Amino acid sequence: VDETDVERLAAHVGLTIPPGSRAAVAQHLATLLAAVRVVEEFPLPETTDPAWRFEP
Amino acid sequence: VIDATTSAPAIAAAVRAGKTRAREVVAGALERIAQRDRTLNAFTAVLREAALADADAIDRRLAAGEDPGPLAGVPFAAKNLFDVAGLTTLAGSKINADRPPATRDATAVARLRAAGAVLIGALNMDEYAYGFSTENTHYGPTRNPRDTSRMAGGSSGGSAAAVAGGLVPLALGTDTNGSIRVPAALCGVFGLKPTFGRVSRAGVVPLAWSFDHVGPLARDVAGLAAAFDAIAGPDPRDPACSTQPPARCSDALTRGIDGLRIAIAGGHFARLAADEALAAVGRVAAALGARHEVSLPETHRARAAAQVITAGEAGAYHLASLRTRAADFDPMTRERLLAATLLPAAAYVRAQRFRAWYRARVAEAFREVDVLLAPTTPWPAPALGPDRRHGGRHAEPPGRLHPAPVVHRPAGDLGTDRGSRRAASGRPAHRGALQRGRALPGCRPARGGGGGGGPP
Repeated sequence: VDETDVERLAAHVGLTIPPGSRAAVAQHLATLLAAVRVVEEFPLPETTDPAWRFEP
Repeated sequence: VIDATTSAPAIAAAVRAGKTRAREVVAGALERIAQRDRTLNAFTAVLREAALADADAIDRRLAAGEDPGPLAGVPFAAKNLFDVAGLTTLAGSKINADRPPATRDATAVARLRAAGAVLIGALNMDEYAYGFSTENTHYGPTRNPRDTSRMAGGSSGGSAAAVAGGLVPLALGTDTNGSIRVPAALCGVFGLKPTFGRVSRAGVVPLAWSFDHVGPLARDVAGLAAAFDAIAGPDPRDPACSTQPPARCSDALTRGIDGLRIAIAGGHFARLAADEALAAVGRVAAALGARHEVSLPETHRARAAAQVITAGEAGAYHLASLRTRAADFDPMTRERLLAATLLPAAAYVRAQRFRAWYRARVAEAFREVDVLLAPTTPWPAPALGPDRRHGGRHAEPPGRLHPAPVVHRPAGDLGTDRGSRRAASGRPAHRGALQRGRALPGCRPARGGGGGGGPP
């Protein structure tokens, strides 16, 4: 993830990210996407629904 | 004698028995705040006149033979994420400071007041609860009462510091990924993340709707239980709140641990923790006769999924403000929230699906045991200052991604009061974790004032 990626993605959600913040945002987004990969690497059964609801 | 170490139930008992007056108790708390909070910076608002007036009202009711409630005269304070009628809910931010005062109390605040507790003020926190340090750029850092060069933890850092510093015996906090558990551990006080859906979040600014919990921090387990009993229960103002009435916890505390199946959480938690944290858990396990070890599967993925879900929900909640007032966010949160808005929706849903899978595995584990012991945090409280961008490595609480209750109980016998680390997680809606905390040898209130040590 680089600053160009951040600028392009931000435009799609209506955000303007100040130039001085783009490097840090790119770094945080890379961290989040690394977490996404850790989750996606796990072979979930197709039948697993999202955990929308919990009742104690 | 009511002092900076007296627990909430003991204060209420003294007030109700006429051994002291609510006004004296509240005035004592206000005096300690005046003396110590310039250093600690736990409070962002102190409601001196209103608190004294409320205390007088409690005393008048007692004098008239009325019952003012089980927490009569107990001073408490709430993280400034909670609505307090007449006070602007800062949520640790500059942006929300521009909003009008709240028109009614958050449900948890209202229920503590209805139980006779007296609201003293609002407490510092990480901006929008998105942090683990309470080094708030707008309102200054909260300092750890055990060592003021160190952080209090977060995001309920003001809540933990106010209890640890002896300013109040009881505080309200919120916990999304550890925001009660972590500061309770780093400051050496007791904290409870209840089962999800047990305590209403109505009137509390959200961080991540599907993870946010409201819970108490206190000087002992009895204080946690008394507060939980006051605030738990159905609330139509919170759609995630269970309609099932909870069992009372205070009644369970004297039952001991006979029949409770207690095990040690291994795997992920054992690998991450420092030797001193593991030694503390080992001592607790030995005292409780717990020898069996249980490893929850894929805990590192649960941590990752919690990170993704929290970011997805927090980014969505703050998107409008990020579009118009990004410069007004705390730099500690702004860039992380901006990054959070860029996450693909498929990643969020995948994490919620993994959460369902993980929740089922945790439920399987809790069919074999009632209580799991683990370090709340793997490290002591880090120093305040430039190394604060450490990625929350000090924050690795058990109980992420699953809805089970987690109690943090201090382990002040670590040879340092800079922070202490033990947690007990229990089956959802089960009181075993609190029972276990109460049953530990030497379970007594943590001492404030930066000295004196915590309970063994």
